[in-house]
Amino acid sequence: MAIQFWRIRDRYYRLMGNRCDDCGARNLADKDMPRTGKILTHTQLHEPLPGFESEVPLNLAVIELQNGARVLAQIVDTPQEKIETGAKARAVIRRVRVDGDSGQILYGYKFVVE
Amino acid sequence: MKSKERVGIKGYGAYIPFQRLPSTEVARVWKGGGSGPNLEKAVASIDEDTVTMAIEASQYAMKMAGIEELGAIFVGTESKPYAVKPTSTIVAQALGQHYTLAADLEFACKAATEAVQVLTGLVGSGMIQNGLAIGVDTAQGRPGDELEYTAASGSAAFVISKFDKDAIASIDCSASYVSDTGDFWRRAQERYPRHLSRFTGEPAYFYHVEKSVRNLFQETGLKPSDFTYAVFHQPNPRFPVEVAARLGFTAGQIKTGLLNPLIGNTYAASSPIGLAAVLDEAKPGNKILLASFGSGAGSDAFSFTVQDAIEKSRGVSPTVKSMIAKGTKIDYSTYTKFRGKLTK
Amino acid sequence: MKAYVASVGLEKVGDHWSESLLDLAVGASLKALDGRKVAPQQVIVGNMFSSAGARQEHLGALLASSLGLKGTPAYKVESACASGSTAFDVAYTMVKSGAIDSALVVGVEKMRDIEPEEVSLALAMAESVEYTQFVGASFAALNGLLARHYMERENVSRDELSALPVLSHANAVTAEHAQFRKAITPEVVSRSAMVADPLRLFDCAPVGDGAAAALVVNENAIGRAKSGLAEILGGAIATTEFSVYERKDMLRFEATEMAFKRALEQAGLPASKVGLIETHDAFSVVAALSLEAMGVSKRGMAGKDAKEGRFDLDGDIPINTFGGLKARGHPVGATGVYQIAEAYLQLTGAAGKNQAKDLDYAVTQNVGGVDTSAVVHVFGRAR
Repeated sequence: MAIQFWRIRDRYYRLMGNRCDDCGARNLADKDMPRTGKILTHTQLHEPLPGFESEVPLNLAVIELQNGARVLAQIVDTPQEKIETGAKARAVIRRVRVDGDSGQILYGYKFVVE
Repeated sequence: MKSKERVGIKGYGAYIPFQRLPSTEVARVWKGGGSGPNLEKAVASIDEDTVTMAIEASQYAMKMAGIEELGAIFVGTESKPYAVKPTSTIVAQALGQHYTLAADLEFACKAATEAVQVLTGLVGSGMIQNGLAIGVDTAQGRPGDELEYTAASGSAAFVISKFDKDAIASIDCSASYVSDTGDFWRRAQERYPRHLSRFTGEPAYFYHVEKSVRNLFQETGLKPSDFTYAVFHQPNPRFPVEVAARLGFTAGQIKTGLLNPLIGNTYAASSPIGLAAVLDEAKPGNKILLASFGSGAGSDAFSFTVQDAIEKSRGVSPTVKSMIAKGTKIDYSTYTKFRGKLTK
Repeated sequence: MKAYVASVGLEKVGDHWSESLLDLAVGASLKALDGRKVAPQQVIVGNMFSSAGARQEHLGALLASSLGLKGTPAYKVESACASGSTAFDVAYTMVKSGAIDSALVVGVEKMRDIEPEEVSLALAMAESVEYTQFVGASFAALNGLLARHYMERENVSRDELSALPVLSHANAVTAEHAQFRKAITPEVVSRSAMVADPLRLFDCAPVGDGAAAALVVNENAIGRAKSGLAEILGGAIATTEFSVYERKDMLRFEATEMAFKRALEQAGLPASKVGLIETHDAFSVVAALSLEAMGVSKRGMAGKDAKEGRFDLDGDIPINTFGGLKARGHPVGATGVYQIAEAYLQLTGAAGKNQAKDLDYAVTQNVGGVDTSAVVHVFGRAR
């Protein structure tokens, strides 16, 4: 499990990515993405995937970054009423997945509403 | 201790997590009322640890320093998420630094100041151009223990570079004192530390801090009145006030860097966050005294002089004051959930 | 060459504690094969997650050997929740071209042998492991994000959205193979447990086991007899940007738009002639956006149209006549074949109490992911 995420750790740690604006293909060199954007839509999930039980309920949002790129991420450290469409959000780094008590800890981007 | 070539701080950043546990909450659950020594403590969220907080503070420090490459990254902490697997390499990866020395240092609450000293040597000798010293902890207190009122989370990071016009402060001198004094410890497989209560005071904190600071005075010829600010390690609100008085500092000199009442004891980040708070408001020419303390035991004392470039650093990163102001209160049950004392 | 569905076999969708994945697949297959004495030249299985759901792969050979079809080519086709209709499309294109003359298509899914959170993970595998699964987002989460966007941008009310599951449940009451044969009110939907805000339990298709089979033939296999046949007039698969959140307009189901257009072109049929649609209502919002993508409703109007009765059995254009994914059930890899079997029952006049009147043409629309893959087929009465 850890290996398939290890290979793209820069994307998780540094919010990097690539996508062709014309055709959507993703075989270009990764670039740093802007670390701020706005919430396009959001949801509060009550039954997340296995491994996220202790974080229930999970606030998830689609964030449109300043360059138009989109990212799906958790919203953390934000009062519920501030999680709304159009709200400004900023990327932070957090633990995203923890493989039990003995496995590896996977880090990556999440967002906070400013 | 002085480096041959002058060395300075080029950038710094602090990170204080969003949640605050009022000490009345700990008292409510365990003592049936009253309050603890501090008002509140900063609590890392459920998905935060020393890695994430180290990265957050480092990003601010790097941004302020405006440098591209680091020759060394030292993470000073006693709450590594892995017993074996460095925290410093994760920080390095997140900062995009690969051709760098990276190591985790542990010395209870003073692991970060020794990182500053090591980097002063590496930079001062010309081995590296820039290094990053990080103090970070998600301090754990056994539920109900007196440590639980204060054991807090936070981080601070400093870019240490060759002294030039971009330095925001010079590192003028440092002095250390250590002895084998077991006032507070955590065995390898244990979750919570143990301590010897009042023994952590006189023979541990006060003895070592006084030794290192007096040693610094002797080596530099400086006296308390030469400093605009003084920052001491702050395991509780009382110790730093007491040691400052014993050493001849006034309440005014320690006020800015004394954060324990508001955020608790962030262990390896405690005096470093205090230093960051001081740098947030210090003026060129001001001298700052910093003295850490690590159980086990030892203390590192420093003298810094604030430089002109500090004015350019304003507004690059959020101030310590603004991060403290942003906090939100949580109750004891949320705290137990966040800090893994309650698992599903 | 003309291609037809010659017979179908359906297992009731639900909790099949006593039947295995193979039992269900064999059951549906035998029903379809009994209906028409044609030996299938291929067995094509549509299934999404037998590896996670039953720790079983190699379903083609497994099923063929259990049916005693030694020597017959057999394999599995996977395309997430569109696996069933995709397997059907493979059969259709081969039979239509004359490469083979008959094929047995079997959609099957075993969801109840594993715990609900494992089902959630298996379903999420239809989405990006690096960017969607990684952050803990389930399929319901993606649809919750979509539903909020839909309701906010198109000014859709809770009750309008609820009209779609209400309709599906109403049709399932008299559908023998449906999982939940109980009518509900909009209040039942709006008071049910929150799953992924704003989506509630009754916005979401249930978990269930099921298998459906269809025998696909051409004229070489059945000669001139036209009774009990539904003609396959067109079929198309389209794909679009993988994850819904990377699409410029998240509310545009472009894969469905493309597949619907191409399938109708192939059939030489104007959209106005379509008399019935079995649409993919895995979530209420998916049903709405699918109907809007096929031009049946204007943007933001699908719920309102449903509320006004346009999609009832006796309405302008009946949809989900046996309960759709919401009430008939959604055994994911089997769903597409259920839809096709239901269109067959309607066009051959075998729909019983659920029979739509004066029906000439029916469309099935099955999607994988959040309209990442869309599969549309057009059927007509055999003439």
